[in-house]
Amino acid sequence: MKTRFLAATVTIVLLSPLAHADGEKIAVFTKNLTNPLFAEIRAGADNAAKQMNATTQHYVPTKPDSIPEQMSAIEDVVVKRPDAIVFIPVDSKAMVAGVNKINAAGIPVVNINDRAAGGKFVSFVGVNDYDLGLETARFLLKSLGGKGNVVIIEGVKGASTNQDRIRGFKKALEENPNVKLLASQTGNYQRNQALSVMENLMQSFPQIDGVLAANDAMATGVIEALAAANRKALVIGVNGTGVAEIAAGKLLATGDYKGFQQGCLGTMAAIRHLRKLPVPAEILFPPVLITKANVAAYQVPKDKMVCPKWEDVVKN
Amino acid sequence: MSDTIIAIRPSAFGAGLRRVPGVAWILGLLVVVFALASRDFLSAPNLLNIGLQSVILLMLALPMTLIIMTEGVDISMGAVLTLASVVLAWVLAHEYSLMFALAASLVTGLVFGIVNGMLVALLKMPPFVVTLGTMGIAQGLALLATDGQSIVVSNSTLEAVYAGSWAGIPQTLLIGAAAYAVTHWLLYQTRFGTYVFALGGNPDALKLAGIRANFYLIAVYAFGGLMAGLAALILTSRMSSGHPTAAIGMEFDAIAAVVVGGTSFEHGNGWLFGTLLGVLAVGALRNGLNLLTIPSSVQVSCIGLLVIVALLIDGFKGKR
Amino acid sequence: MNFATGTLRIGARAADLKTIAYRLAAALAICVVLTAASDVFLTTNNLLNVLRQASLLFLLASGLTLVILTAGLDLSVGANIGMSACIAASVIKLTGSAVLGAMTGVGIGLTIGLANGVLVALMRMPPFIATYGMLWVVHGVTYWFMAGTTIYGFPPGFRALGSGHFLGVPIPVYLMFVFLALGTFFAQRTTYGQEIYAIGANREAARLSGVPIAKRLILVYAVSGAMAGLASLVFLARMNSAEGDIGEAFTLPAIAAALIGGTSLFGGVGTVSGTLVGALILTLVLNGMNLLTIDASWQPLVTGVIVLLAVFFDTLTRKGEA
Repeated sequence: MKTRFLAATVTIVLLSPLAHADGEKIAVFTKNLTNPLFAEIRAGADNAAKQMNATTQHYVPTKPDSIPEQMSAIEDVVVKRPDAIVFIPVDSKAMVAGVNKINAAGIPVVNINDRAAGGKFVSFVGVNDYDLGLETARFLLKSLGGKGNVVIIEGVKGASTNQDRIRGFKKALEENPNVKLLASQTGNYQRNQALSVMENLMQSFPQIDGVLAANDAMATGVIEALAAANRKALVIGVNGTGVAEIAAGKLLATGDYKGFQQGCLGTMAAIRHLRKLPVPAEILFPPVLITKANVAAYQVPKDKMVCPKWEDVVKN
Repeated sequence: MSDTIIAIRPSAFGAGLRRVPGVAWILGLLVVVFALASRDFLSAPNLLNIGLQSVILLMLALPMTLIIMTEGVDISMGAVLTLASVVLAWVLAHEYSLMFALAASLVTGLVFGIVNGMLVALLKMPPFVVTLGTMGIAQGLALLATDGQSIVVSNSTLEAVYAGSWAGIPQTLLIGAAAYAVTHWLLYQTRFGTYVFALGGNPDALKLAGIRANFYLIAVYAFGGLMAGLAALILTSRMSSGHPTAAIGMEFDAIAAVVVGGTSFEHGNGWLFGTLLGVLAVGALRNGLNLLTIPSSVQVSCIGLLVIVALLIDGFKGKR
Repeated sequence: MNFATGTLRIGARAADLKTIAYRLAAALAICVVLTAASDVFLTTNNLLNVLRQASLLFLLASGLTLVILTAGLDLSVGANIGMSACIAASVIKLTGSAVLGAMTGVGIGLTIGLANGVLVALMRMPPFIATYGMLWVVHGVTYWFMAGTTIYGFPPGFRALGSGHFLGVPIPVYLMFVFLALGTFFAQRTTYGQEIYAIGANREAARLSGVPIAKRLILVYAVSGAMAGLASLVFLARMNSAEGDIGEAFTLPAIAAALIGGTSLFGGVGTVSGTLVGALILTLVLNGMNLLTIDASWQPLVTGVIVLLAVFFDTLTRKGEA
């Protein structure tokens, strides 16, 4: 295993025209310490850096999703001058000022996961939330046979991921005029809030056939609420963190957000840029669903995951 | 009677000599450790960073010192700052001038400050509860006004507030220094300050002396709101936008900075310079840990330890 | 016992009953409005639903009530829930024993509470700041321990604690009433309870009349911590999963429940049953907003107004008595 990594690194170094001295320092910015998605992204970044003989340093706000804290971390990092930055803005609009600071300092930066509304980036690596929401919702509506009553559990209002996913959900609903949308309420991407919201919605609506949750944490909250009330409905989520629930047959499907791969490819793009290798302006993963049919491939512990090869993902 | 009141007020210098708070030792220790561990720490751009990053917290902590001295507390300040920032961004996004936007932001802060003060002073409601309520209201208004979204402002005058400098000194630092100077002047040089010391120490004496204690108590909270409104200018400029949760919860950091700085919840004991030390200790700690790339989960605990250890040092000194 | 505490309790009890009556009236008024506005509000299922949602808040807020009675405060309860739940969850996963996990959860909660108590009582730190510092320390340890993972799936026996029913009523609702009875008995009928009220009403007088202040303070913070540990178990059993931030959203609502219930931050005034009504009012409002599908952005604003109204009302009635 180790020798293969080594061999891979050696080839990359030999192949690179300017044979940049390796050991680049990559600063990785994520939104919080609690969401499993960002833990996956950090693990992916670490794995990619290890493969390519670089090192990562992680900057995470101590208060989840804090704008002032991420802004301060940027200012601190500009002093410390890493070779490159892999960046997820805690807010796509309010952090543009921070990206401008990185740009002004001349540090190359790759945007991953949540697209910043401005600033200059080497590349964007991510998944189109609209497509992912659309595909996941389509799968649920098809499983319902194109009819029935559904509810939507929304994430944090104003988060661009949430807006795009909900837009995708609603597009799929338009395509299925026989499906009735009973209500659309927010669970703020939180499991316990989604659970309470679902409990209350079940009081209002005696027949709910399907639930579209904007992330998997909320989807699992919904599942618990349904189980406690002895009611059945098909539930989908987005993020790909609810793999265990899919295997257990409780969650119908989740949109694979490819957190680990986002971390991998984002970090690889940053290192490749430093080594003067070509990097496309945008790497978008196609929307993929995790369902009972393919869940086995996803049941790998985080510390056993290995980054895909750059060439396998980025095709010219 | 008024002589008694004057006697309550210690001089700034005397108070400082009598109790060098634990946080001063911690700040000194942090500077030494970080300077040894990272050669960037004492560099001019980094020291500037610590200063810039501390200004918003300082602007909440300064009036908070006064409020705590009156045996009160204001936990709505972070939410009010956030709402004022949203208002400022909204007004600017609608093509009004920066002066007008700043005025709107200051008025927002002032209104909340006055309402807080009136409920506390006139209705004798507990400050924590009053401001817990107004915190919810300010937070709710910010959410409803923005529908959870950022309000983006592209206004070069606004951006220049945070980024610009005057005679080589960043404007943000100048605003912070001015806020400190004004608060210092109010607390130690004016009648208002004398009454602030008396309000916490001996409010009955004020009443006996025929002084409108309520008026001054309202003024203390109003000053807090006004400072939150001014801090909103820096916050909004720093993000070039208003965001409905940007500074939620910041008041707790401010309260912690004030108390580790040697101001006590009881008997009107306050020391403004200690508050500055408290704010800088938090700023230096966060900055230094970032420079050393200490894992974030450890950073979280370190902030709690800073607060607890600072008070422990004070406690042991008190016992001696 | 002693003169000071004796008179205090007789005075406070009559006032307490009145306060609770007003609170119940307010809760009923909300119920009437919701019954008129939504035809599903007044159904057995929905009312049980409200009770179950209120029970978690109450378990947390009841311990906190004792702390506030001593003129203290515990800002670390939310962080405490997070850490207790996460460590209990991993113990259940490792050993497969729900009992061992439950003991660990309450034990962790108790330990954090004891630490708070020592800082406040022995080190004489302001409760507000000591528990705020503790919040950060506990969060940090929890984040480090969890490293961004989720612990998922617990044995059905344990799950019953949060999502089971007995005679059609959710188990947490029984827990709520058990702890209401225990809390009320402890506060009103034991010497400990009397001393806690005395400390909050006038610490110096309590000290002079022989109340062991430090011991009682440590006791209330330990109880508050243990209740957070217990609440974390109910939460864990109900959610069937643990993450580092699960307690985050509970601290301020728990404080608000106690305050809406008539407990005074100045200490010495308040009851555990008032806190139950406070928790019910907060839950009813959320339930109503969900039933009427009102935008959740209104939530903080509505909660803020209710807190202000409740305390405003108290202030007026107490003024009338004085």
